[in-house]
Amino acid sequence: MTLSTRPGWQRLFSGRDSAKKRFVALAVIPLILFMAFWTVFPLLWGSALAFFDYSPRRMGGFLGFGGENAFVGLQNFQKMLDFSSDAPLEVQQFHIGVKITLLFVALVVPLNLLVTLPLAFMIESVNGRFKGIFRTLFFLPVLAPSVGVAIMWGYVFHPQRGLLNAILGSAAGKLVAINWTGDPSLVVAGIPVALFAVIVAYLWQDLGYNMIIFIAALQGIPQSIKDAARIDGANSWQLLTRIIIPLLMPTILLTAVLTMISAFQVFDIVQVMTDGGPKGQTQVLLLNIYNYAFRYQKMGWAAAVSIVMFLMILSISLVQTRLLRTEWEY
Amino acid sequence: MMTMLSRPHRRFRLNFAYFILIPASLIALLPFLWMILGSFKTGREIRQIPPTFFPQQFTLDNYQRVLTDKDLPLGIFYRNSAIVALANVAQVLFTSSLFGYIFAKFEFRGKKVLFWFIMSLMMIPHQMTMIPGYLILAKLGLINNLLGLILPAAVDAFGIFLFRQFALAIPNELLDAARVDGADEFYIFRRIALPQMGPALATFGMLTFMFNWNAYLWPLIVLTEKNVRTLPIILTWFSNRMVGNDHLTMAASVLVILPVLFVFLLVQRWIVEGITLSGLKG
Repeated sequence: MTLSTRPGWQRLFSGRDSAKKRFVALAVIPLILFMAFWTVFPLLWGSALAFFDYSPRRMGGFLGFGGENAFVGLQNFQKMLDFSSDAPLEVQQFHIGVKITLLFVALVVPLNLLVTLPLAFMIESVNGRFKGIFRTLFFLPVLAPSVGVAIMWGYVFHPQRGLLNAILGSAAGKLVAINWTGDPSLVVAGIPVALFAVIVAYLWQDLGYNMIIFIAALQGIPQSIKDAARIDGANSWQLLTRIIIPLLMPTILLTAVLTMISAFQVFDIVQVMTDGGPKGQTQVLLLNIYNYAFRYQKMGWAAAVSIVMFLMILSISLVQTRLLRTEWEY
Repeated sequence: MMTMLSRPHRRFRLNFAYFILIPASLIALLPFLWMILGSFKTGREIRQIPPTFFPQQFTLDNYQRVLTDKDLPLGIFYRNSAIVALANVAQVLFTSSLFGYIFAKFEFRGKKVLFWFIMSLMMIPHQMTMIPGYLILAKLGLINNLLGLILPAAVDAFGIFLFRQFALAIPNELLDAARVDGADEFYIFRRIALPQMGPALATFGMLTFMFNWNAYLWPLIVLTEKNVRTLPIILTWFSNRMVGNDHLTMAASVLVILPVLFVFLLVQRWIVEGITLSGLKG
């Protein structure tokens, strides 16, 4: 060990490029220490927590492990596979969390692309002066805090004083009092209406993000390619489906993956708008983790759920690196 | 000839697009509008069923009540949010540019491994370190301390990646010329490399500021006492306390959201650029 490291250290501070080496060492060593303390150590600690029945309220040994925080091995993970109706409450909540999160992601990603792509095409097609105005209007919600977005939409969906019911009411000519975010019996095609309400608010904030990415990608397509296709007799539809969309495909794929990853981690809007309700119909996984870790202080269990969620996101991220491989060549 | 070819097509799409874009953008603005209009309604009008759209009795009372509410010292919360956001912008810009530059322009042992290690950290979602991160802060006594939002945020993996891309474009001759003149390495970084990365600093700085200003989950965990909280957490606290007094919550939301939204709008160009970079490059 010493034999192999010592020459390295000597080389670091002497020789031809000693100034360069000193500079690098002075910067990189703190970086490594920082990463070790704030990233590697928490990752290890967090992973270890998943194998204990850990609560910060109880006494334990080193890092709170052992003592009253008993080692439970793989029990937390085994419990997750208990699909029976008398499974512990946290397990049932976990299953709801997984289901709702997958439902949320499965709805958000296609809906997002179905709106943002045409939106980007349309905005790109309008006159230069108005292009900026439209882009800004649709981009505005991205800049707002998600908490504010949730509060604003809460007032749109409010059962008595909400804008949506007021509009529906004036169209129907009578009082409409649909409790969009609070009535568990409202379910359409197996999907709770409250989840739709949350998705509307989430999409409203998130759309501008992908929209500007698609606009940038569209602007990156050289005019000469489009003109060449026109000279060859392509009509607008052919130009769009045969030239533009295939050229955008890498961006579309990447954007879909990034949208998916962030949708998996939805928290703010759900927590403020419904706090998981009604009856757990909007209880996404991260809200579930937050509740168990910080409201009920069952951190061991919450850490185990975090790992499962991480693995779900990791499998998507691996697809992402595939897509990004050329960009990341070192 | 080319313009003649594309013109009729463009005019057709132009009309069609306006037909959809104008109503869609008005709908997109409705939630903002509903909140702003509500903030000028009286308490009686806000509870009226069915609700009114435009305030029938325009009032500024709600703003006065929110601004004089002793339980809601907005100045303190604005200050807290500003401290966290500015400190994080400063340190993240420093570390990202420095390490981006080092990974682009220097050779050292283990560089490849370290770079890939940092890049792989980009893929680990924040909630993996959320619970142990909280426990570490608790052990350090930094719960309910703004430092809890600042210390763990000093290094940003995506920032390093981004600045490395920019630093690669700096000509080596420029750096070597300064070395021949006897400049020390930190001087070269600060005076020669950093100015070359100006656009990246503006873009990534704005993005980091916005991200920190709007952050919710981590501040919610770290800041549990009222007066150390940042704006997003205090806004939900206020709206939960004011259930039924929508006119007051709406006024408070306007005061919390709109001023900074306006500033973000002014620097929109950089934010858009930053998101485009992050979207296209990962």
